[in-house]
Amino acid sequence: MSSVTLRELTKRYDGNDALSLDSVSLDVAHGEFICLVGPSGCGKTTALRMIAGLESVTSGEIEIGDRVVNDLSPRDRDIALVFQSYALYPHMTVFDNMSFGLKLRKVPKDEIKTAVTDAARILDLERYLDRKPAQLSGGQRQRVALGRAIVRNPAVFLMDEPLSNLDAKLRVQTRAEIARLHYRLGATMIYVTHDQVEAMTMADRIAVINMGKLEQVGTPRELYDRPANQFVAGFIGSPSMNFVPMQVESVDDGLRVVSAGGDMDIILDDVDSSAIRRAGVSEVVMGVRPEHIDHLPRNDRGLQLRASVDVIEFLGNDEHVHLNSGDHELVAIVDARTPLTIGDSLTLSASSEAIHLFHPETGVALK
Amino acid sequence: MKLMSTLTPAKDRRVVALAKRLHLSKAVVNVILALVAVFWLVPTISLLVISLRPEALFGQSGWWKVFTAPSQLTWGNYATIFSQGFTSGGVLDSLVTSLEITIPVTILVALISSLAAYSLVFGSWRGRDMIFLVIVGLMVVPLQVALIPVVQLYREMGNLFGLNPYGTIPGVIIFHVAFGLPFGIFLMRNFLTGIPKDLLEAGRIEGAGEWKIFYRIVLPLALPAIASLAIFQFIWVWNDLLVALVFLGGNVHTPLTIFLYDQTRSLAANYWIVSTGAVVSIFVPLIVFFSFQRYFVRGVLAGAVK
Repeated sequence: MSSVTLRELTKRYDGNDALSLDSVSLDVAHGEFICLVGPSGCGKTTALRMIAGLESVTSGEIEIGDRVVNDLSPRDRDIALVFQSYALYPHMTVFDNMSFGLKLRKVPKDEIKTAVTDAARILDLERYLDRKPAQLSGGQRQRVALGRAIVRNPAVFLMDEPLSNLDAKLRVQTRAEIARLHYRLGATMIYVTHDQVEAMTMADRIAVINMGKLEQVGTPRELYDRPANQFVAGFIGSPSMNFVPMQVESVDDGLRVVSAGGDMDIILDDVDSSAIRRAGVSEVVMGVRPEHIDHLPRNDRGLQLRASVDVIEFLGNDEHVHLNSGDHELVAIVDARTPLTIGDSLTLSASSEAIHLFHPETGVALK
Repeated sequence: MKLMSTLTPAKDRRVVALAKRLHLSKAVVNVILALVAVFWLVPTISLLVISLRPEALFGQSGWWKVFTAPSQLTWGNYATIFSQGFTSGGVLDSLVTSLEITIPVTILVALISSLAAYSLVFGSWRGRDMIFLVIVGLMVVPLQVALIPVVQLYREMGNLFGLNPYGTIPGVIIFHVAFGLPFGIFLMRNFLTGIPKDLLEAGRIEGAGEWKIFYRIVLPLALPAIASLAIFQFIWVWNDLLVALVFLGGNVHTPLTIFLYDQTRSLAANYWIVSTGAVVSIFVPLIVFFSFQRYFVRGVLAGAVK
């Protein structure tokens, strides 16, 4: 079993008051592909380096398999780390780069050869085994770095933004390759990235980290459909969710939520009304994803807004339309065939299910 | 090319003229460089020629006469100075003594400097930068100021442990190593800071201990720096007269520098021995230089990261 468990993992760097990682607890099941995402400097790489054993643990516990590994050196943790920079040994050939770890472990020569050739075949590197890293392209170097991890057949693969140095096309290609690799090896993988698209496309589950704190863990769908708070809601999805602060008003038959200028209003269903009542707030932050805004008037419940078109970004299949509604700016994705011109006044809507409401101070999701 | 075609004819002519002028100045520069090279080589060539002419001709005619009378050339001087073999006081004995001093010093300085630099760059102990500053500061200490204190220190060692390095080859080696280290550490540290930390961490994760990381990853990457350090160090120690004179002055085995010095000092200066011995003493550093220069590879770190 090669599950990974973090228990209240905390890191404070010397001479730094703030915590780089603040009691993060996380269970990664055997064979699971989990992504740690967050903005740069949020502590995701620190967490990964702590699992690898390259950073000391300030407090908390790291368990790999059934062993607490806090005090084990990196080599005794049975992990492999793919560096953002690849960290290939420039003076060694591809073969030597990939076999270095096995040689250190005194694996018999013929076994090393088999392992390296197998990995090279999987990664399409067979022709390059005699080359030095300097003679390889970026994508090939990246694959050598992956191969170096594969040959050791570790319990856990750790990857630190392995795609960030590749160009866009190669990134998409390698993304699929890593997903395939995970399927093929069935190994536990912990993958750090700041790119939510990478996380959404590859991960079984995603852990969103912000300012050293774990914000939410869940499947990509859970994070997209039911973000636990405003940060996760804004981080997952592209273009990101629109947020508008709104007032809660009591009317005779229940609650009404309106924006400052009155250009937007929400007709709540009973469940949402009672959620707001329970929270006891007079203001909420409404969130709605651009792809959930319809170019139609509201029917029955949900959000309706009046807005004018500010900017139109044509993307082929659809358009990103930047809207002004009162003092607020929103983005909506509409079909590219919709005839729109700048300055048009529109009435738009979003269904009740597509509306997210957040606490104005804590940012916690109310519905 | 595209740029050229957009230029007006007048401008085009000016560009051509400029290129011509540059071309011309390039040739001039080459001539000047060649002259400088010849100028620098003349003493060495004359030394070589003198060593290859019979002793008797030295006082009679200049060495350049050899160009009109090549029959003057003879191996006689070499046969004479080598005829003594390895008996003490001979040139071969001095050659061996020089090697006995220089080779251990070079190896020790390269090894200790690399290890110290490794710890200064990749270690995690407090005060690394402070220690490095102190070491750099030591580079300004001229070795003359330490001669007498070290002699005294050696004598004290003799009194305390019955082991006085004064007058022995290890005594000279210790002195040279001590004075070679500040520069060695300075050079190696500055080179090692260019090695990405990721490489060491990758090695650590793959199971390499500190020692393995040092000699399987860091040392191979540091070869260009080690080669230059070794060449510098070898030549400094090889050419040293002062330290050898102080610590080995009365010894039966002396390095080449003392051998040559003794020959010039003797009542009738033996110029034929001096020139022949000097040529012998040039050869070893030349061999060292040419065998180490292949390690001066540019871009050893290419392909490591990104």
